[in-house]
Amino acid sequence: MSQNKTTQNDLERAFKKYRTGMEIILEGAKADTGQSPKEVIWTKNKAKLYHYEPMVEKRFPVPILMIYALINRPYVLDLMPGNSLVEFLVGQGFDVFMLDWGTPGDEDKNLSFDDYVLDYIPRAVKKVLRASHAEEITLLGYCMGGTMTAMYAALFPDKPLRNLVLLTAPTDFAPDEMGLFGVWTSEKYFNPDRVVEAFGNVPADLIDTGNRMVRPVTNYVGSYVTMWDRIMQGKSMDTWLAMSKWVNDGVPFPGEAFRQWIRDFYQQNKLVKGEITLRGRRVDLSNITCPVLNIAGKKDHICTLPQAEATMRLISSQDKEFFVVDAGHVGLLTGSEARKVLWPKLLTWMESHSK
Amino acid sequence: MPEEGNSTGPADPIELWEKWYDTTSKAWSKSLDGSKEAFVDPFGLYRTWLKSVDVTQEQMKVSPLGKMDPKEIWSQWLGASVDVWRKASEGGADPLGLTTQWLEMMEEARARILAEGNIPADPFTFIKQWYDATSETWAKVIGDIIGTDRFMESAKEFTESYTSFYRTFRRANEEFFRNLQLPTRSDIARVAELVIGLEDKVELIQDTLEDFEDNFAKAITSDLKEHLDQVEMKLDALPDILQQLTAVDGLENRLDQVEMKLDALPGTLQQLTTMDSLENRLKQVETKLDTLPTTLQKLTAVDSLENRLSRVENKLDKLLSGLEKNEASEPSVTPKSTNSTRSKTKETKQGSSKD
Repeated sequence: MSQNKTTQNDLERAFKKYRTGMEIILEGAKADTGQSPKEVIWTKNKAKLYHYEPMVEKRFPVPILMIYALINRPYVLDLMPGNSLVEFLVGQGFDVFMLDWGTPGDEDKNLSFDDYVLDYIPRAVKKVLRASHAEEITLLGYCMGGTMTAMYAALFPDKPLRNLVLLTAPTDFAPDEMGLFGVWTSEKYFNPDRVVEAFGNVPADLIDTGNRMVRPVTNYVGSYVTMWDRIMQGKSMDTWLAMSKWVNDGVPFPGEAFRQWIRDFYQQNKLVKGEITLRGRRVDLSNITCPVLNIAGKKDHICTLPQAEATMRLISSQDKEFFVVDAGHVGLLTGSEARKVLWPKLLTWMESHSK
Repeated sequence: MPEEGNSTGPADPIELWEKWYDTTSKAWSKSLDGSKEAFVDPFGLYRTWLKSVDVTQEQMKVSPLGKMDPKEIWSQWLGASVDVWRKASEGGADPLGLTTQWLEMMEEARARILAEGNIPADPFTFIKQWYDATSETWAKVIGDIIGTDRFMESAKEFTESYTSFYRTFRRANEEFFRNLQLPTRSDIARVAELVIGLEDKVELIQDTLEDFEDNFAKAITSDLKEHLDQVEMKLDALPDILQQLTAVDGLENRLDQVEMKLDALPGTLQQLTTMDSLENRLKQVETKLDTLPTTLQKLTAVDSLENRLSRVENKLDKLLSGLEKNEASEPSVTPKSTNSTRSKTKETKQGSSKD
């Protein structure tokens, strides 16, 4: 009888775990993300500027404005309590702001980098300075947001820009350094005009597929194998669920910006040559003279090390540092390496540059 | 694919789907070896595999229930799958060289799985074990395939045909709904663009007001503030000044008194002037008096002279008396002028001595 009861309990547990896994597969991962308290202090079109509520007394007069990429959502920087770069920085006494680009609609298909770099970011900077009663600002750009931030810094190198932090921000798009992305976006095989004319805004699924296909087995199969493994062994699913939710929570890429991104950056590599022009203004990264902290991931296959490191030879800053983390594109933000390596490094650097 | 813009009316979406399926099937067949005139059924290989699974299941029914060896089962399954791929490869149907590579992968997977001592009965554990054993091989195979020119050419043709179809499909749908007098996505997007334009204008006004507040108003208010601070500082000194004023009142009274006294000064000065003139007169008198001793000496001399004159006069009187006596004795003429002269001389002396 006791053996039967044990078997019955085992079966019930197994069934419960099976049901948990199937719910995630069928309904998608659900998690509470972006939990750090914040308020919206400015909006423009779909973009929102968030000001995170301070948890401790402000120690540094220079506020931080985080600028994310145009794809995926920025709450990866504030994934969950205990695993949030935003929470960490706010807890250290920084005044933290974030620019969320929002979800573009059909009416935004003509938005380009000209608009983002020359309209959205400058206005966001003004709002941050006003809200923080500051005269200088630190810009922190991640991935494509880092590229946009670098372009902004090149066009507006003087005050109020105080510091520039780039996280896995590609500036050199030489085909040899890009891996599979270099092949897929080659002019020989990919015409961005056809995609933009067909879709307007490039669907999130298409962008997501492109990113996943760089490591298809890991991204399509391995993540779910990991899920089942953690469920069966009774391990915590919080981080996995939060990450899975974020990975599947992409946003469309505005058509004109997508066309520019593929043609001017990936195919013609204009940025490193100084040939990018935004509303007639040439973007020359050598105009950047402020202190720069450039961070890249050793295992990053979306922004490879050479793509990020190229920034160091292009800028004119005297105070500049290239820092490599042994992690992937997202892992350096949210994984164990983030808490042990990246966050302390950011803190030390910004402490000394924010007084 | 039918050329766009030649249709005279709205296209039937279902007909378009059918045309798309035919076209893409032809595209796939072009890229596949071993296929000449007929279309290739993309699911043909999987049908063959499923048939082999059915055959395997029929074979399993022969074994007594409850005594099936899981390892034997998997061995049979793997054997059936490998047989399928081998036959496909030998038959010449090897799209993109996949069959050969997958055959190698299946062989390697079978070797790794069967090399384990025990095949776990728990399906989840087995999946994890199977994934760990085969993921690297899978990743290598797929990575080799998706980076080849052949694959990219096929992907390019697929992308172009799909985007062309999608664009035509969208336009057809737009036209369809427009004919039904229903708003389409582009209509809604157009309205949204107008709203965004309006928001931009409001944003400009807000920016201008904030600039005014930050720059001019602050400058003015800061000047006012400075002035107010200065006035405040001056007002802080007011009580002391008032005290000084009180003292000043006393001083004023004293000054009035002094003034009154000074008012008498001109008269005094006039007196002084008179005194000066008196002093001069005194000096003159003194000068004259200085001559007095000399005059007195002269008077003394005059007195002596007078005495001498008196004596002389007495003598002359005696002389005269004598003469008169002589004359009396002799009748003669006496000069009258001499007596009158004598009497005048007496009167003169008497007059001068009285002075």
